[in-house]
Amino acid sequence: MVRFENVGMRYGPGPEVLRDVTFRLDAGSFTFLTGPSGAGKTTLLKLMYLAEPPSRGLITLFGEELASLRRKAFPALRRRIGVVFQDFRLLAHLSAFDNVALPLRLAGGRADDYDRDVEELLTWVGLGDRMHAKPATLSGGEQQRVAIARAVVARPDLLLADEPTGNVDADIGERLIRLFGELNRLGTTVLIATHDRSLIERSKAREMRLVDGRLIELRTGRT
Amino acid sequence: MSESFASVLPRPGRILPREQGAAPLDVVIAIMAFLAALSLGASLIASRAAEGWRAGLADHITVQIVPPATGDPGPVLARETGAAMAILESTPGIAHSAPLSQAQTEKLVEPWLGKGALVDELPLPRLIDAEIVPGARVDMSALSARLKAAAPDSLLDDHAHWISRLRALSDTLIWSAYAVLALIAVATAATVAFATRAGLEAHHDIVTLLHQMGAQSGFIARAFERHYFLSVMGASLAGAGLAAILFAVARGLEFANVEAVPFLPPLALKPVELLWLLCVPVTSGLIALATARISVLAALRNIY
Repeated sequence: MVRFENVGMRYGPGPEVLRDVTFRLDAGSFTFLTGPSGAGKTTLLKLMYLAEPPSRGLITLFGEELASLRRKAFPALRRRIGVVFQDFRLLAHLSAFDNVALPLRLAGGRADDYDRDVEELLTWVGLGDRMHAKPATLSGGEQQRVAIARAVVARPDLLLADEPTGNVDADIGERLIRLFGELNRLGTTVLIATHDRSLIERSKAREMRLVDGRLIELRTGRT
Repeated sequence: MSESFASVLPRPGRILPREQGAAPLDVVIAIMAFLAALSLGASLIASRAAEGWRAGLADHITVQIVPPATGDPGPVLARETGAAMAILESTPGIAHSAPLSQAQTEKLVEPWLGKGALVDELPLPRLIDAEIVPGARVDMSALSARLKAAAPDSLLDDHAHWISRLRALSDTLIWSAYAVLALIAVATAATVAFATRAGLEAHHDIVTLLHQMGAQSGFIARAFERHYFLSVMGASLAGAGLAAILFAVARGLEFANVEAVPFLPPLALKPVELLWLLCVPVTSGLIALATARISVLAALRNIY
């Protein structure tokens, strides 16, 4: 599903943020990515959701080696990835409903076909009564749930989440992790970057840790 | 109007927020559309006026009997006028000919020489106005030779020189108007390109997010195309509409027999000609559409 080989990354002339990162995510796996702030977790995710090209090394995604792939093929790959951004990145002028429906629209879906799915998902994450609210009127936790619903609504092959439970209470956090687990059981490969040790301890999933830009395999886990 | 036209455009939905503070672009586009509509109207008026002048002159010839330098011109002018009239009346293709009276001739020179004793003393030529049957071809050089033979002091004027000068004048006016239209089109494209880039900057987060979520470049471009097409169409409709009102007012003055500019044709457009002004907003909209698309696609190529 995902393979990194000796990947290095630096922004401009700055120091390397990631160094010789090598790992593999098998299809249907569930992995936690941990590490202190500034260790390079977000950068690693950016490389995975094709927001940045690596400075060196090889990345293979869905069996395609990115370096040899034409740029025209990238949008189709990106649509197979769901991303929960740390800063949510909701479109402020769209309602919660329209934000969640966005990936389905980008995939060419018709509103009639996906209206029910979006409503059900928003209800599931506890926002059934806030569907038509604009992000600015939602709390941080509610915005995070909208961002998560948007990331999973198209049932992506790969789900990347950057601190997805950072702004929600324990109950909602638990519920969201169950949602990720459910998706994983349906075949989605999941990678969650988090600081939340309790979340990791409760799970038996694989854990990779980034320290100073280098990746350490802490726990192989079960898939 | 724009809403119904907009409905046929590819609609990526309201991905971009409603533009705040877009008024300067609208004002600039409206002014340019106003100027473009004036240029287009001017070219239509010039074209129509030149055609009218040309048609008026092309169907007529003038025979001038020049008074002799010495002696009493009266008998000579009368004899040669009669001979010239006889030639004209017997020439196939001449529908009608008639000499101008002394009073009519004096009226012709009145704007330049005034009237009174000076004009009375001047040896004015006798003029014969002849009308050609529409579509008939008259051999002017043969007619001129026959006139010279019968009336040695006659000069035939088929207005070819004036017609060619009028044609050159109208062509100059029309091509000048086209040049102004082309300049305005380039300015519109440059303005929209600038506004699109500013829009891309303002909506950078949205564009980047859509891009990272797998939106095709065409999808993002369509959001901008639609936005700028409607914006520019609306503004240029206002500008062209204002120009149309001015032309309509000029037509009202024409009906009221008020001469807007002396010696020039009325600066008014007929109702059918006013429809041509619709080309301005439509063309502006299409320029905006193409410019926005090219700008957005070029900008997206720079994002990984």
